[in-house]
Amino acid sequence: MSTAPIRFDPRVLRAPHPVPGAPDNWRRFFTFNTDAKVIGIQYIALALLFLLVGGLLAMIMRGELLTPPADLIDPTVYNGLYTMHGTVMLFLFLFPILNGFNNLLIPPMIGAPDMAFPRLNALAFWMFPLFGVILMASFLVPGGPASSGWWAYPPLSTQNPLGLLVNGQFLWILAVAISGVSSILGAVNFCTTIMRMRAPGMGWFRLPIFCWTALAAQTIQLAGLPVLTAGAVMLLFDLSFGTSFFRPEGGGDPMLYQHFFWFYSHPAVYVMVLPVFGFFSEIFPVYARKPLFGYHVVAIASFGIVLLSLIVWVHHMFTSGTPQWMRHLFMVTTMLIAVPTGIKVFAWLATLWRGKLWLTTAMLFAMGGVFNFIFAGITGVMLATVPVDVHVGNTYFVVGHFHTVIFSTITFGVYAAIYHWFAKFTGRMLYEGLGKVHFLLTFLAAQLNFLPMHWAGLMGMPRRVAAYDPEFALANVLASLGAFLLGVATIPFLLNLVSSWVRGARAPANPWQAIGLEWLLPSPPPAENFEHDVPTVISAPYGYGLGHPLVADQERYEARLQEA
Amino acid sequence: MAESLLGGSTGPGSGGLPELAAGRHPEGPESRPDEPGGNSLGGHGGHGGHGGHNLTGFVIFLASESLIFAALFAAYIVFKRSSPLWLPPGVEGLEVREPLINTLVLVSSSGVAWLAERALHRRQLGRFRLWWLLTMAMGSWFVLGQAREWMGLPFGLADGVFGACFYLLTGFHGLHVISGVLLMALMLWRSFQPGNYDGGEAGVTAVGLFWHFVDVIWIVLFALLYLWQDR
Amino acid sequence: MSDSVSTATGSGATSGPQGSGTPPDRRDPGLDRGAVVLVTLGVGLDLLASRWLMDQVPHWLPPQASTAAPLVDDLFGLEVGIGCFLLLGCTAVMVWTLLFDRTGRYDRDDGEPIEGNLTLEITWTLIPLVLVLLIAWQAIRVNGQLASLGGKVRVAGAAEALRLVGLEGVEEIAAAGGAPGVDAAAGAAAPDHSSALRPAQAGSAAAIAQASERSTAALAAAQRSSPRAAAGATVASPPAGPPPAELGPVVVIARQWSWEFIYPNGVRSGELHLPLNRPVRLRLLSLDVLHGLSIPAFRLRQDVVPGSVIDYRLTPSREGRYRLRDSLFSGAYFAANQTDVVVESEEAFSHWLETALASPLVPNPNLASDLWEQRLRQGNRGWATVAPAAPPLVNAPLDATAPHAG
Repeated sequence: MSTAPIRFDPRVLRAPHPVPGAPDNWRRFFTFNTDAKVIGIQYIALALLFLLVGGLLAMIMRGELLTPPADLIDPTVYNGLYTMHGTVMLFLFLFPILNGFNNLLIPPMIGAPDMAFPRLNALAFWMFPLFGVILMASFLVPGGPASSGWWAYPPLSTQNPLGLLVNGQFLWILAVAISGVSSILGAVNFCTTIMRMRAPGMGWFRLPIFCWTALAAQTIQLAGLPVLTAGAVMLLFDLSFGTSFFRPEGGGDPMLYQHFFWFYSHPAVYVMVLPVFGFFSEIFPVYARKPLFGYHVVAIASFGIVLLSLIVWVHHMFTSGTPQWMRHLFMVTTMLIAVPTGIKVFAWLATLWRGKLWLTTAMLFAMGGVFNFIFAGITGVMLATVPVDVHVGNTYFVVGHFHTVIFSTITFGVYAAIYHWFAKFTGRMLYEGLGKVHFLLTFLAAQLNFLPMHWAGLMGMPRRVAAYDPEFALANVLASLGAFLLGVATIPFLLNLVSSWVRGARAPANPWQAIGLEWLLPSPPPAENFEHDVPTVISAPYGYGLGHPLVADQERYEARLQEA
Repeated sequence: MAESLLGGSTGPGSGGLPELAAGRHPEGPESRPDEPGGNSLGGHGGHGGHGGHNLTGFVIFLASESLIFAALFAAYIVFKRSSPLWLPPGVEGLEVREPLINTLVLVSSSGVAWLAERALHRRQLGRFRLWWLLTMAMGSWFVLGQAREWMGLPFGLADGVFGACFYLLTGFHGLHVISGVLLMALMLWRSFQPGNYDGGEAGVTAVGLFWHFVDVIWIVLFALLYLWQDR
Repeated sequence: MSDSVSTATGSGATSGPQGSGTPPDRRDPGLDRGAVVLVTLGVGLDLLASRWLMDQVPHWLPPQASTAAPLVDDLFGLEVGIGCFLLLGCTAVMVWTLLFDRTGRYDRDDGEPIEGNLTLEITWTLIPLVLVLLIAWQAIRVNGQLASLGGKVRVAGAAEALRLVGLEGVEEIAAAGGAPGVDAAAGAAAPDHSSALRPAQAGSAAAIAQASERSTAALAAAQRSSPRAAAGATVASPPAGPPPAELGPVVVIARQWSWEFIYPNGVRSGELHLPLNRPVRLRLLSLDVLHGLSIPAFRLRQDVVPGSVIDYRLTPSREGRYRLRDSLFSGAYFAANQTDVVVESEEAFSHWLETALASPLVPNPNLASDLWEQRLRQGNRGWATVAPAAPPLVNAPLDATAPHAG
């Protein structure tokens, strides 16, 4: 452990895991490495690359939408771009990057050496580049990529205009299916790890909220993904083998696909947002220097969200001929989700209240994310209301709403997490100045981008259009400017990531004076975290200002960090 | 193609899971105390085996897997009750007699698998292999019977929503039976490795569990497809 | 001054924050007069701002052109008011902490170790619960009054759908389009479209009338299975006077990418003409993929589902020309798939209908076809798509140049 800072044993340089104090061994990130911390960084780095791809697609789309007619690109190209934008952002950016954080955070937070199934973990990761390549390759096949939206509603998605076996839609289904398999394998791993590998003394109510939310999110994956898989298999058969699951001519029903799709894909939003709730719950106590307000309720609310999320999917089908009683039922269940999420939001606000706020970039992103989330929650309740949804559903109001969730909340949370834990897992400090520029630009650009969309939607602009009536022009110009500004906002972020990792200041073990098992490890943590010396947890997390230690013999662990 | 979609559940998934997990830390999963309150790592610390988690992981996986079938069953029921078209023209219904015999074979193979597990538990390796082999034979018999039935049917995959449902459901289940047999073959082969059971029988238990799962699924499937024929 | 308030309240409440769940008064009102004043002022301002925002709602929306619109708008306004109150309240708390609870540059002390407060937690569980149940109750009431969704009948493909609504004349086309393995749109785009349609026009009024009786019975039966909707239907009729006779069913055919409206007397139209204040029953069917019928000025939207024939009711309440858009993504020229609804007086409507009946069938102006032709002229670049269906032949084509009001 006490390696001299200057000279290294050559074996250290070749080590398959990060060694504290050693220069980074880049090669390990390109191998079938079973170390969760390596896998976590692999996920995050690749996901950020795809964030750029998805953002580029978005900016081309917003370029098209600068003017009412479809004059920049052909409408078919626009349709392909928006389909791929959604798919890339969900399946190649958000799911993977959150899996990356699961990998980085869960084992150290619970004092485990690694995931329960390290090889399975690596296998699940390596499916990610595989389906990423498949999806990107679909740009190159004749006829272009899938262009029926990320919902892939049949019969449109099974039209297959060129009649080829290998077409964009086929590759899309293939990629989504592999992504599903990877996610299920990941979910099995994360759940087993959290259930079986916690440090001594870490009962359920001593578990950090991030682990609660990760467990909740992975439960949704396990319950929802199989259903999507069943739907995807049927869709693939309809597309490629002439079956009639969703073809009315053979007695099939296109509505059934929608049920299957949304049974997973609505909860999928919670798969993404729950870990972000976890980030907020971890970050606020650290930078407000206060315990998380109402820890128990916040923890349990995660599972309230899980249960409700599995019985709300029909709110995506309010206008598809769904009978009245069903619309009312699903409206009420959808609105009820506001209760557990409200509990969380109020708990965060109460955590901030009379704290000693330390406005780091991570804190700014977390606060900005919560602000945006409150807004998105309110528009979410509006969309759950059947009569309002009848007017604004499938308009830009929805686009504005879910971008406020998916970008302005979830991605803000991801940024906050990057700024918060970067030091821990790379051993280098991110530069705060650039971080604040990144935050300011991102926050302003996000509002400029997504607020006008709500307005366009209220006026009746349908989503997914490549051209629109002139009355929507102002809203679209504003949104496009916002989108381009968002693109610009990424530049300080990337600069910061690369330059800080290469030559940033060395990070101490606990730069934010945070409480948590991961902060009792050196930065970056050694391969097996605590190895054979797993601390015994003796109190609940977030004991800021309470003055009692988190683990037995805490001085010894802290002293060891001083030595290192 | 279909296989790559289903693959996660049948091919690399279930086949790989116990092996991948067990492969890394073959030593000593039995020393893992199952205390509540998260003490599962108590005292042992880091690198020791994670093998004791295999069964937990596998059960979680099976629970998730069962939901694919639940979704397919739900689709079948919805189609059957609401489709304006059902049986393809000229098809009256399904022949029940042979599938019933097949069903009996498959269901009783679950009992045989249980006998095998019990034998292994008593360290009667010879008997274990015998019963295990018999289970595999019964599973293979079922698959062959299924294949025979497919050959003789007057309708195909593309014949309306009924044909599609029938082939998808039986085919997807058949893939599970085949992977079950392959997994059992793997376990059989491993039983000849010296010291294979020093670390416990998690692999055999998991495959046994998988086999019972496949059987239960078939019982539901048989009831839905063959017994519930009137609309 | 605010700083002193902050410290004063800080010393006042060691037991943790108290107060009702609404964020601005999450302070300790009992002990400090300054705090009480501040909180009351804050809540008052919040209420005023929310009220003001509610008044802005009409400016964000298209004109109210159906009986549904005021109901939907009021409900939306209510949500805007409640939402604004909550958002501003929560934001006020965050801004307050940003202003007054910031730590000094080198101050790394901890804040007050408040771990929770059961009363407060129960309050902020109950308040959202009550609020959403209130909104849901109001929404269910409004939804009952709208009662726009009629019956729905499952059919095996476009041919059967057309048979159900009495349009056998175009059956062959639909059958070709609907056969498995052949693209619906490609089939519908077959060049014999016009010739097949013309005989259908002759004597079609009687056929449609007859079929509409049959299908109305079927759809009504379908609707009876959901008694709530039927009960709502009685509420839907306008409050004053005897309800005017319902117009329809007007068959609405959605294609990739065109709209066609067929009136009970056999008139085919490219735009939807409706008499003012008279309930109309639309009968929606799609010949290829999913579409959505959306009229923002009416605040109404309904998916058009292949394999289903769906009845939909509405009552226009304002004269004018409004956009009717495809709201559910339907492929390449989705954006071009829009037409107009013309709401006019009863006399003007009858006049239009008579004129239309006497007019010959002409191809409806179709932007999708134009764009497709243009693409073919430019070398067919772009990604794959099915070809647009041939523009429907109509007696009353769309006036593509007329300005629309919303």
